Amino acid sequence: MKEGLRQSMAWLHTWTGLLAGWILFLVFCTGTASYYKDEITLWMKPEAHQSMTRQVAPAAATANAVAFLEQRAPKSDRWIITLPSEREPTLRTMWAPPPADPARQGEQRPRRARFGNATLDPATGEELAAARATRGGEFLYRMHFDLHYMPVIWSRWIVGICAMFMLVAILSGIVTHKRIFKDFFTFRPAKGQRSWLDAHNASAVLALPYHLMITYTGIVTLMFLYMPWGVKAVYQDERDKFFTELRQDVAIDPKASRVPAALTPLQPLLAQATAAWGEGGVGRIVISHPKQTNAAVALYRRDGKQMSVDQPAMVFDGVTGALVSPPEQAAAPAAQTQGVMIGLHAARFSSAALRALFFVAGLAGCAMVATGLILWAVKDRQKYAKALAKGGRVGFGLRLVDGLNLGAIAGVPIAIAAYFWSNRLLPVELAERPAMEAAWFFGAWGTAAVLAMARPSRRMWQILLAVGGVLFAGLPLLNLLTTESHLGYSLSHGLLQIAGFDLVVLVIGIGLLFAAKQMGKSRMNKVNKVNKANDPAPVLASGGAA
Amino acid sequence: MSALTNGLLIYAALAAALAGFSGLSLAMDRHWEALYGRGSSPGDKTRWLQACGTAGLLLSLAASLALKGATQGWVMWLGALTAGAVVVVLTLTYHARRLIPLAKAAAVSAVVATIAAQAAHAL
Amino acid sequence: MASTIRYRAGVLSRTVAAIAGGYGLSALIAAALALTLPTTRAEAAMTGTLTAFVVYPVAVMWVFACASALRAWIGLLLASLLPGAVVLALGAFTGGAA
Repeated sequence: MKEGLRQSMAWLHTWTGLLAGWILFLVFCTGTASYYKDEITLWMKPEAHQSMTRQVAPAAATANAVAFLEQRAPKSDRWIITLPSEREPTLRTMWAPPPADPARQGEQRPRRARFGNATLDPATGEELAAARATRGGEFLYRMHFDLHYMPVIWSRWIVGICAMFMLVAILSGIVTHKRIFKDFFTFRPAKGQRSWLDAHNASAVLALPYHLMITYTGIVTLMFLYMPWGVKAVYQDERDKFFTELRQDVAIDPKASRVPAALTPLQPLLAQATAAWGEGGVGRIVISHPKQTNAAVALYRRDGKQMSVDQPAMVFDGVTGALVSPPEQAAAPAAQTQGVMIGLHAARFSSAALRALFFVAGLAGCAMVATGLILWAVKDRQKYAKALAKGGRVGFGLRLVDGLNLGAIAGVPIAIAAYFWSNRLLPVELAERPAMEAAWFFGAWGTAAVLAMARPSRRMWQILLAVGGVLFAGLPLLNLLTTESHLGYSLSHGLLQIAGFDLVVLVIGIGLLFAAKQMGKSRMNKVNKVNKANDPAPVLASGGAA
Repeated sequence: MSALTNGLLIYAALAAALAGFSGLSLAMDRHWEALYGRGSSPGDKTRWLQACGTAGLLLSLAASLALKGATQGWVMWLGALTAGAVVVVLTLTYHARRLIPLAKAAAVSAVVATIAAQAAHAL
Repeated sequence: MASTIRYRAGVLSRTVAAIAGGYGLSALIAAALALTLPTTRAEAAMTGTLTAFVVYPVAVMWVFACASALRAWIGLLLASLLPGAVVLALGAFTGGAA
């Protein structure tokens, strides 16, 4: 630590990066996939593809949803309707469970069982019961911060700690990078450790604003979990007041009146909101205490008009239809800041072009983490150069890192691809289908991880990357063989989400196969032929061979 | 804003970023050498390359702001910069000879697209 | 041999200082800002919390940049004095008037 700022930051960067790297790789992969989680869900529900080709007016869709809810959840105290959008062309409904039976007061309700939900065809109002049970893109999205098979509190802390490590790694990386401008465009392939460093630098620096933003905003989304002390200092035990005061929510009577009354027609309310927010401006409708005297109808504006994730709401009396709140309530600066930060992280506001750019930056993030992990191992291997030359072995630590690196970097893509394969191969009527799809994800990953740990050789890298590549690239073919929504159909019917999925996984698959092929080339020959004078930086010993 | 104007501006933002970074990279000795051999240097062209490069990046910014407005525009620009920089790095590494023709084509088409977008928007 | 143990002890000490000490400092700053910023209390709490996550990584980096682990601890303690005093004075956690 006496060496100076750059060196101490280099030390900090290497350790924070390594220790959090494997989990961060998973977080980056699932997070990047989550930009298109709705499209992924759609691809995973081929039965819903028919309904996608029809455009349904919001008024009609709303009427259908209300009719469904009146029939399915008449006693529920809260109905939530999510109107179809470009990303998600089905009509989604959720409802609070009916009030607790007094006889069962003390029972703990499992969290998942609390809200009922159904996905409807917006044109008919009928439940898309035929669509196979799957969590679709939500599975990957939730894994991004909730991981799996553990209480969410634990996983959110684990992910949060890794995110803090990441933030420190980025900042220390910036401090320690000596020639950040000179090296900006530099990438020298086939030079062993130098190449890995160049790749790590490139993927990190070229998307640096993104990486800083995504890490900080990620922490911000759960910041009150990690750092409750600001709120606690001022609000002590009345935490809930903080959230209502912040959002300046219109107070909705929390207690149901239980006195029946007719629900006001929703069409005029929709018309008012559309007048204020434009055509298709309503994204979500929340009806509190429906069909009771103190009913309230809140219309929320659709994502996409502004960066903040907090959408303005118009609240109406649920019986008379009178407007109870003004449409535009400017949030105070700090609340806005948090809303914008979460908005930037989730990028739900973004158009197609912007979302594609976010996706590319996310992939750069995955590359940054992967090349960093590999660079660590390549560098560490140098310590064992002499021992290896004599036929010896590397130390336990490096052996462990080698196995973990391969298990993560090649394993996660295999897992994700297996998840998609399971969606097409598992029987539609299978009980607990979503859990089985998750099992395929973890089963595939586990298999890859065991192989990786057992033998993290260059050959194994080749094999596992190739497997991932084949699984990804094979998805469009699998789609063709198992459903009607293959690429030809989706392109000709304008189902761009479905076609996009097929094309993107194909490209990813080809990329992985290319990487596998690169692994097969011997690096040693190329390195020996390098013209040292061409390389302004001192040539480091090639540590690429494993 | 029509889909055409939209598309033209997106293209302009990306192409201008590409052209801009091409100029800035060539202004550096080490990348100039990739095209013209060891020991060569852009010399008096350096300032000119830097100026053109910066102009390209600014054009990209202008297109992004025009497309997405004052807040989202900056986000779009940073994304366009990343995309442009990645293409320049890959070209310099694997097809260095193609960088200058690519940069010229990108620069010209970016300017044309911007003007066309103005026209399309006005009509 | 002794120097390796010393080195490792130093690393351990800094790690604890960075993770626990850094967290403590950030928490105090969050609370102090929440209690003293001249905006509405919701705003203040929010700003304080957002700031804490800028302070934390900087504190961690500073701990490892320090010339010695001891200096790191001393620095953290000194930095905590002002926000600590504010939090105690405004009685945030002792049930006094907020």
